[in-house]
Amino acid sequence: MTSLMLFLPLLGALLVLLTPVKWREEVAGFFAAVTLGLGLWLWRLGGEGLSVSPWVPPLGMTYAVELNGVGLAFALVTAFMTLMAVWYAARRVPNPGPMLAMVLAMETGLLGIFAARDLILFYVFFEWALIPSLLMLAVYGGPGRMRALVKFGAYTLLGSLLMLLSFIGYKWLGGSPTFALPDLLAHPVRGAAQTWLYLGFLAAMAVKLPLWPLHAWLPDFHEQNHESGVPDVMGTLYKVGGYGIFVFGLTLFPDASLELRPVLMGLAAFTALYAAWIAFHQSNWKRLLAYAGLSHMGFVALGLFSLNETAVIGAMYLLAFQNLYTGALFMAVGMLQERVGSLDTRVGGVMNQAGALGGLTLALWLASIAVPGFAGFVGEFSVLLGAYQVSPWLTFLAGLTTIAAAAYALTAFQRTFWEGRPLGAVRVADLRGTEWLVLVLPLLAALLFGVYSAPVLNLMQPAVRAALSSLGGQ
Amino acid sequence: MNLVLPDVSFAPMLPLLLVLAGAIVSTLGGFWLPRRTLTALNVVFLLASGASLVWLWGAGADVPRSAFAGALRADPAALLLGGTVLLGALLTLLVSLDTAYRARVSFAEFDALLMYAVTGCLLIAFSGDLIVMLIGLEIMSLASYVLVTFQDSRRAEESGLKYFLLGSVGSAILIYGLAFLYGATGTLNYAGIAQQVSVLEPANLGVLVAGTLLVLAGFGFKISLVPFHQWTPDVYSGAPTLVSLFLSTVVKVAAFAGMLRVFGGALAAGPGWHAVLQVLVALTLLIGNAAALYQQNFKRLLAYSAVAHTGFLAMTLLGDTAQGGAALGYYLLVYTLMTVAALAIVAALQRTEEGMSVNDLRGLYYRHPAYAAALAVCLASLAGLPPFAGFFAKYLAFQVAFESGYVVVSLLAVLSSVAALVYYLRPAMLMFMPDRTPAREYAHGQRPATTFAVALSLIGIVVLGLLPNLWYGWVAPPEIWRLLAGT
Repeated sequence: MTSLMLFLPLLGALLVLLTPVKWREEVAGFFAAVTLGLGLWLWRLGGEGLSVSPWVPPLGMTYAVELNGVGLAFALVTAFMTLMAVWYAARRVPNPGPMLAMVLAMETGLLGIFAARDLILFYVFFEWALIPSLLMLAVYGGPGRMRALVKFGAYTLLGSLLMLLSFIGYKWLGGSPTFALPDLLAHPVRGAAQTWLYLGFLAAMAVKLPLWPLHAWLPDFHEQNHESGVPDVMGTLYKVGGYGIFVFGLTLFPDASLELRPVLMGLAAFTALYAAWIAFHQSNWKRLLAYAGLSHMGFVALGLFSLNETAVIGAMYLLAFQNLYTGALFMAVGMLQERVGSLDTRVGGVMNQAGALGGLTLALWLASIAVPGFAGFVGEFSVLLGAYQVSPWLTFLAGLTTIAAAAYALTAFQRTFWEGRPLGAVRVADLRGTEWLVLVLPLLAALLFGVYSAPVLNLMQPAVRAALSSLGGQ
Repeated sequence: MNLVLPDVSFAPMLPLLLVLAGAIVSTLGGFWLPRRTLTALNVVFLLASGASLVWLWGAGADVPRSAFAGALRADPAALLLGGTVLLGALLTLLVSLDTAYRARVSFAEFDALLMYAVTGCLLIAFSGDLIVMLIGLEIMSLASYVLVTFQDSRRAEESGLKYFLLGSVGSAILIYGLAFLYGATGTLNYAGIAQQVSVLEPANLGVLVAGTLLVLAGFGFKISLVPFHQWTPDVYSGAPTLVSLFLSTVVKVAAFAGMLRVFGGALAAGPGWHAVLQVLVALTLLIGNAAALYQQNFKRLLAYSAVAHTGFLAMTLLGDTAQGGAALGYYLLVYTLMTVAALAIVAALQRTEEGMSVNDLRGLYYRHPAYAAALAVCLASLAGLPPFAGFFAKYLAFQVAFESGYVVVSLLAVLSSVAALVYYLRPAMLMFMPDRTPAREYAHGQRPATTFAVALSLIGIVVLGLLPNLWYGWVAPPEIWRLLAGT
């Protein structure tokens, strides 16, 4: 069942390329919807436990997958937003076939990341997701895409190869027979070697998270992607660094996590503040969103690295739902670009003619800056609450970000949607058809889980407890 | 009179003899038959040779596995490496059906020399002592010198001459080294050397180390290990692409098979060479990858990438023979598939034998979608991205180096892989960028054989990437590689 959910989108991607142009959108939509349906059904069943089957026996690689707890929550959000992206791409992108195929292919990679419980399998999915995102950038990107592409690829690969070395080292030094997580947990590595291996692992995760100073690829990546924002939706789903640290980092490297906690929390708090500061100065919507996302990721990292149960749950909650509203915001920006022909924030007066777009964008921004009632609030508040118990001052510093977030979000919104309409500007149409769905559904989901967080918390809490149990009852 | 016949059993020689038969048939048949017929015949001979490998693999204990008192050995390692050599040769022949005519090398002698070279390659893989290895190496080298020069062009002549001169220097150094090894151990047989190395008197140690290092340098020329790599980019880019394809796969596989035999088998316990090889590998990784970054010509880029891959391949020799041999066995097959497919596409699409510039690849996807997609997969695999087979090859190399304690080398390999990603990524992504300029490919002609060869390689790359055990399962058993030096 888990495997079916993993590979269904890939099958869809292949079929999309094979079907006649006329039917591609329907096929892609169908596969995205069925995948989401499967995910929801899995949720009803309470997830699926670990299943391990051999993959490359002489090397100890296994096909170990599991979809429950935090991973299931992430997979659901991914499937949901993929469906939104497919809907929007079908309407917005001319000849969307390749884009739809890549979105679906990437979904498989992402779901695989959330399901894999074998280090090498995780690595394979981790890199798998890279390829469609690079292709999307190459085929649909802006004029400066080559530079963005190389930067993105080089950062990612440097990190992930160091991670691969650390995986090899973990298995070898610990003497585990396979790369499957339970086996590795039974054969832990202790002492200084653990710290070194953790640093190698962190290199990959910090690039993906991203954590200062390894974030430089992120703004370029988003800026150069297709204006519609569909690749960016997948990009926001791509923030698997936080998940990787949660599922492998905390469990495999407990001592090193504790040892490095102050440094990492400091970096996280700095990332959050620094990104918010830069976001404030952006005049390109996509760069603004990229830095806003980066700032949120600093929060996620703060929660994770604090190793406090409340904070870790908050971080996972934030990470899961951040995808909803940031992804939707990227698509809203795409709609704005379609109407006014620019991604600049200093457009002015769009609200006069496109009230619904403005209203929904504002609502999504409010979700993004964690106004109570939205899912982001639950996450951010828990992170602050938990991290405060560990390091009050750093938490205070990171907490300033919430003020900064309101500042950059509202300023940019005000400039674009209010202020004066330039003379001679084109008339702007309001939302139509699928555009409504694509923005409203994520918003509703963020609202629903902001008010009624119990189902997701119930899903996450046992997993977080289990992960933190190796730390000695922190 | 009591005539004593030498211990000659033909069964272990069968794969070699079949390829040699192809070479002889091509040499003589060239007077009467058109080249395409000969090529088809040679394909059959190669397939038969492959079948004989399979037969030897599965045959019972009653079939002898060595001839000439152990100088020629058809042990599992030889069969596995020989299979990779044959596959590379087969794909080369397929590609030659389409491109040899345009490259102006379409005559029977081309086939004949190619088959002689393959015979030499197999001889190296099957060697049980240094002399057989040397004979194989020389047959292979001499045939390849001529192959490079065959095309009637100044560039080809220049690169052929360069290859010949530097290759002969390499051979000379190698032979000198072999003499030292003989002097130190008193035997040419791998098993004998391995035995002597472990019980060596200190007086002979210096001679042994000198011989080992000379042999290492000689092999360094053949596999283009930095600093012995200088000929590689010039020769690969000067020779017809078809020949570059052959040199960078089949010949290199054979040279690595020889290295595995000598260093992994005979000299596995020998002193000194690990440290030197470690430095050479590090240099190769750094220089090969750094130089490839600056290439504008795609064919030359692939030549440097071949140098860089030498570094990864040689990393596997650093480790314990059982583990390293398995890694090398897997890597060589995958490397052959990736390189053949990439160069076959270049050979099919280039306008002249100089290859194409990286910028010419822009928008290839919109002109030749299938070739572009295939080339992108090859490049991704060469860069080591999963889920393609190149990833597992690199993984194995990392693993061997890391677990044998060469942590610095493996970290260097990681860093240089990032450079590799950059130069593989650029062409791969350029192909998918929309482009309105007119096509720069050679537009005419049918290319069914090339397409078939590329498709075959591509299936290999993808399938071995998803299910690496299909091949790794065969090369994994450590006892195969412990037998390298004989029992």
